[in-house]
Amino acid sequence: MKKPLHLVGEVCFYLIIFAILFVYLFPLIWQFSTSLKTMDEVFRGFSLIPNKPIWENYTISLRDFNVGRYLLNTILVAGLITVGQVLSCSMAGYAFAKLRFPGRDFIFFLYLGTMMIPATVTLIPTYVIVLELGWVDSLAGLVIPFFFGNAFGTFLIRQFLQGVPRDLEEAAEIDGAGYFVIWSRVMLPMAKPALATLAVMTLVQQWNSLVWPLIVTQADTWKVLSVGLAAFRLFRTIQWNTMMAAVVMATLPMIVILFLAQRFFIQGIQFSGLNR
Amino acid sequence: MARMSQKRKREAIAGYLFITPNLFGFLVFQLIPIAVAIVLGFTEWDLINEPIWVGFSNYRNLLKDPVFQLSVRKTLYFVLVNVPVQSALALLIAILLNRSIRFKNLIRTLFIVPWVSMAVAVGLTWTWIYNSQFGLLNEILVKVGLDKIPWLAHPDWAMISVIVVNIWQFLGFHIIIFLAGLQMIPREVEEAAIVDGASTLTRFFRITLPLISPVLFYDLIVNVIGTFQIFDLPYAMTGGGPGQATRVYNLYLYQKGFQFLRMGEASAMAVMLFIIIGITTAFFFRVVGRRVNYDLT
Repeated sequence: MKKPLHLVGEVCFYLIIFAILFVYLFPLIWQFSTSLKTMDEVFRGFSLIPNKPIWENYTISLRDFNVGRYLLNTILVAGLITVGQVLSCSMAGYAFAKLRFPGRDFIFFLYLGTMMIPATVTLIPTYVIVLELGWVDSLAGLVIPFFFGNAFGTFLIRQFLQGVPRDLEEAAEIDGAGYFVIWSRVMLPMAKPALATLAVMTLVQQWNSLVWPLIVTQADTWKVLSVGLAAFRLFRTIQWNTMMAAVVMATLPMIVILFLAQRFFIQGIQFSGLNR
Repeated sequence: MARMSQKRKREAIAGYLFITPNLFGFLVFQLIPIAVAIVLGFTEWDLINEPIWVGFSNYRNLLKDPVFQLSVRKTLYFVLVNVPVQSALALLIAILLNRSIRFKNLIRTLFIVPWVSMAVAVGLTWTWIYNSQFGLLNEILVKVGLDKIPWLAHPDWAMISVIVVNIWQFLGFHIIIFLAGLQMIPREVEEAAIVDGASTLTRFFRITLPLISPVLFYDLIVNVIGTFQIFDLPYAMTGGGPGQATRVYNLYLYQKGFQFLRMGEASAMAVMLFIIIGITTAFFFRVVGRRVNYDLT
């Protein structure tokens, strides 16, 4: 066993850790501080706490820079895709884990085989499909290509459900339950941790995604936050305070969700980094 | 199918029904696009006129294109700086955190805050911090009596400045993975080494490193593959500039496809990226993979 750390040593250890964390997270603290300053104060030199917090920066950003619209679009797009992916992947994950049908292993092998292919490869053909369907600058164009799930999510749910003992299904079958009932009443409740992991991973990924929304939206109507914010760089004079207010609004929702669902984020990261 | 029992048949039908939505998405938005990209790579197409078959000429032109060559070099540079520094830092912090520790969840969670934050948003935050005139970094430099640095404004500095942000953003992700790997190492092995009087450094190189090498190796590969596809940060921070200083591969691909509407060449670039990543991964498996120790975990 490790020797119990001396009290002074222990205090030092935590001081070091939290000092590292403070420096590490300082850009975000600075971003928040700037978002509450006047432009005079922004240029006046270092001060962490604004004289008087200017919350109007947030309303200006929401109204005058269209961030309100982008925010709503982002919530809608990321939310819809997450719901679709969790549903679709939980159904497919159940089938791949528990049901026997000809071609199952071959199809699953195809899924795994395409996981390593860079997303860039499918970008142009997917754009052509969406263009042909007339979905450029529409909610459908933003959502549908990701709505039906992906290999990662299916893989995650399948791995999890493979660990569920057969007795549970058999008991349900004896009670006369069909496959749909087994999926909805037995598998989904059992798979809650995996579903939550998939949901938070998908939500963050979609909330933050840039490339696809960038090419599929030209008009302001359906622009999401990432696309709207990226255009800020091109403004001739940059209002750092309102820009940082927009940045806070783009990042804070995911940070809040991170704190509410820490466990599932950690599990999601470990799943994507540890399965061999 | 004919000989299947009634029950097996019903099970098979249920299986197909359950995978239908997922398989539909997979076929239409994954498998077919991959095939189409390969075909488009052999054509010249501006989205308006009919595509023209041009054989390998896209590939030949790209290999001769100086901006293409530059974008490959820039991306390789990005990968070669980003991956080792990120892994080393993450491993260091993970080792520091690998003990029975209070606030463990809080600390882990705080480390992944940048990772859940939108790349475009934190890119803009750093653009502000890097600002030549009023940015925080230059203010600190001036305070300690140094000269200002044109972080994003000068071609010599822009690339490394963007890489720093990328290292920062994904550091926590790798810390979580390494920490999980470290916790799989049996306590007894570590303790036996301490009893034998092995120094901290010896323990690191003889025990810790070999025992987490599978986790480290997998993480390195995933990191290399991901970093080759870097787009969001340079797009939001520099747009590829100043000049061509941060014109990474996917930025150039995006420009070719969606600004110049050269869909054929852009598709060829996408296929080539896949080939480059494939070769790099294979190289990794041959050179590093042999040293990975799969026996003890």
